[in-house]
Amino acid sequence: MTAHQIKRTGFTAFVHGLEETAIAVLLGLMTLVTFVNVVLRYVFNTALIWGLEVTLVLFAWLVIFGISYAFKVTAHLGVDAVLNIVSTPARRVLVLISVAATVIYAILLMKGAWDYWAPFAGLDATTGRWFPTGFAESRDQGWYETEQIPIPFAKAWLEATFNLGEEYEKLPRFIPYSILPFGCALILFRVCQAGLRVVSGTQDTMIVSHEAEDAVEEVAAMNRED
Amino acid sequence: MEVVLLFTMVIGLLLIGVPIAVSLGLSSIIFLLAFSDTSLASIAQSFYQAMAGHYTLLAIPFFILASSFMSTGGVAKRIIRFSIACVGHMRGGLAIAGVFACMLFAALSGSSPATVVAIGSIVIAAMRQVGYTKEFAAGVICNAGTLGILIPPSIVMVVYASAVEVSVGRMFLAGVFPGLLAGLMLMVTIYVMAVRKNMPKGEWQGWGEVAASFSDAFWGLMLIAIIMIGIYGIPGVTGAIFTPTEAAAVASVYAFIVASFVYRDMGPLAAREEGGKPLSLLQKPQALITAFFHPDTKHTLFDAGKLTVTLMFIIANALILKHVLTDEQIPQQIAGAMLSAGFGKIMFLIIVNIILLIGGQFMEPSGLIVIVAPLVFPIALELGVDPIHLGIIMVVNMEIGMITPPVGLNLFVTSGVAGMPMMKVVRAALPFLAVLFVFLIMVTYIPAISTYLPTSLMGPEIIVK
Repeated sequence: MTAHQIKRTGFTAFVHGLEETAIAVLLGLMTLVTFVNVVLRYVFNTALIWGLEVTLVLFAWLVIFGISYAFKVTAHLGVDAVLNIVSTPARRVLVLISVAATVIYAILLMKGAWDYWAPFAGLDATTGRWFPTGFAESRDQGWYETEQIPIPFAKAWLEATFNLGEEYEKLPRFIPYSILPFGCALILFRVCQAGLRVVSGTQDTMIVSHEAEDAVEEVAAMNRED
Repeated sequence: MEVVLLFTMVIGLLLIGVPIAVSLGLSSIIFLLAFSDTSLASIAQSFYQAMAGHYTLLAIPFFILASSFMSTGGVAKRIIRFSIACVGHMRGGLAIAGVFACMLFAALSGSSPATVVAIGSIVIAAMRQVGYTKEFAAGVICNAGTLGILIPPSIVMVVYASAVEVSVGRMFLAGVFPGLLAGLMLMVTIYVMAVRKNMPKGEWQGWGEVAASFSDAFWGLMLIAIIMIGIYGIPGVTGAIFTPTEAAAVASVYAFIVASFVYRDMGPLAAREEGGKPLSLLQKPQALITAFFHPDTKHTLFDAGKLTVTLMFIIANALILKHVLTDEQIPQQIAGAMLSAGFGKIMFLIIVNIILLIGGQFMEPSGLIVIVAPLVFPIALELGVDPIHLGIIMVVNMEIGMITPPVGLNLFVTSGVAGMPMMKVVRAALPFLAVLFVFLIMVTYIPAISTYLPTSLMGPEIIVK
């Protein structure tokens, strides 16, 4: 609630703008690709065969990338009914436990994301069931391809680096999947940042109670006078 | 037994202020790591596939985007004007117009809090100006706003359809009659209250105003036509034109065009100062290109994106929990227990009602549906409850959960919008809450209200067990 009133300058302002633009652009692209495909089908009787798959990948990118942003500006939904009725010290304890739980979640998700993605990119997954204990030789899955998505550029480089020089007919899977380690690393980073803010007291909780909280604040003044 | 532990963990985390998505996800992950041989990697995979593998859920960002363009575009104001022109002259007219406006807006957007904010912020202030009490105004809007998830298009219905694999088109059609009925019941209640308490009535402004306000609101209301005709076609002329997902994408492009080029409330053609006239496209033809990159457009896209992210984060984690439940055969166990206890259809529906009324208070409706739907669905089939009917029951329950004290979501939103303490909103909402309860009982025990329209338009449903 307090987080997005922070004044941002210089580099942080730049990153903030970048994140917002990325979210807007991803959603805009999804909409355009789907719309263009409908138009192509009805007007020109043809279709972008990769349209649907690209849209779904963009959807996954939008969400997994956006989660970290939403942690940064405290936009994730939660239940604050109990927090609002307990005493201040008790509230503080509960909030700190909730921070710990969220950090643990982010760590587990990060390990899972790496373990899933790494073999597709020819890298090694980590060992250990709960926490990474080291790297293990994992079966190279670099040759897995997406169903329909063509390779726009750098085909030769991709083949040489990730597929032992063998030809890729379609975009290799590790590219769309790369949002998992990237997005989850960002989530872990933002969760830790938010956690530190809560610990130091500059931020109240990790949650908002409903999606329209900003909008309500904007219009509340209209009815507040008595 | 482990499952009890799982649910205790979910609820415990939820109550201490962990984000809903994290509560669901963390509990499921811990459960899977401790009691099964699932690896973290496959959890990450289901997380990714929650988006990339669900074509139906893809409709959600598009519906959110369409309604964002519509609410930025000042459509709410035009809809309210049209509603007042239609019913404002009756006793209690402004309140009835408020319900009517909520119904129309609900058809443009898929979310209840959004409806309360868009309509409530304007109507509550207007009602107080002409002499209604603030409590009455807040009570009306708080209840009428819940229609947002019942009148199609509805995000919650998309989620239900995806969770139990029924057709989104059928769900939307099934919501039409219940939505109209609920609105009508609220209006009649208001009218009766208004006549007895002698509440203010407005002037009949003549058919001219009805026509003028309709033509002003026309472009916004056309969105409903695009979605409905797109999904179902025109009976007798064409078949279905789009899938619901495509219809949602087309609707958001349409909403963008209306907001930037027809109403010009946003984008390069918007009036520069408050109250000024918007530019015409002839004055600034380059707007055809610049509209796509205008800060207003970006801002709307970003807002819709952010809402999508928070909603899908919950749904993705709820899907992980759903995997846990189905892997553990929980639905079958519950079904077995209920059937062997000799519960019939009616008892089952009552139990569903109670679970959802309680759950609907704490949980975001779409997340709750993802978890509860697969639990009760097999039992419903076993007992011969129609899947579409079950879906509508769940949605109506969720609606009521949003306005049931102590923690209904719409109560919070209304208390914010109206600037009133929670307890006052609760008291104000109670009489209408009673009406919606009657409505819930009708919807639960008269399946035809929900199933008549989809069955007659799309043929009887084939249920595959």
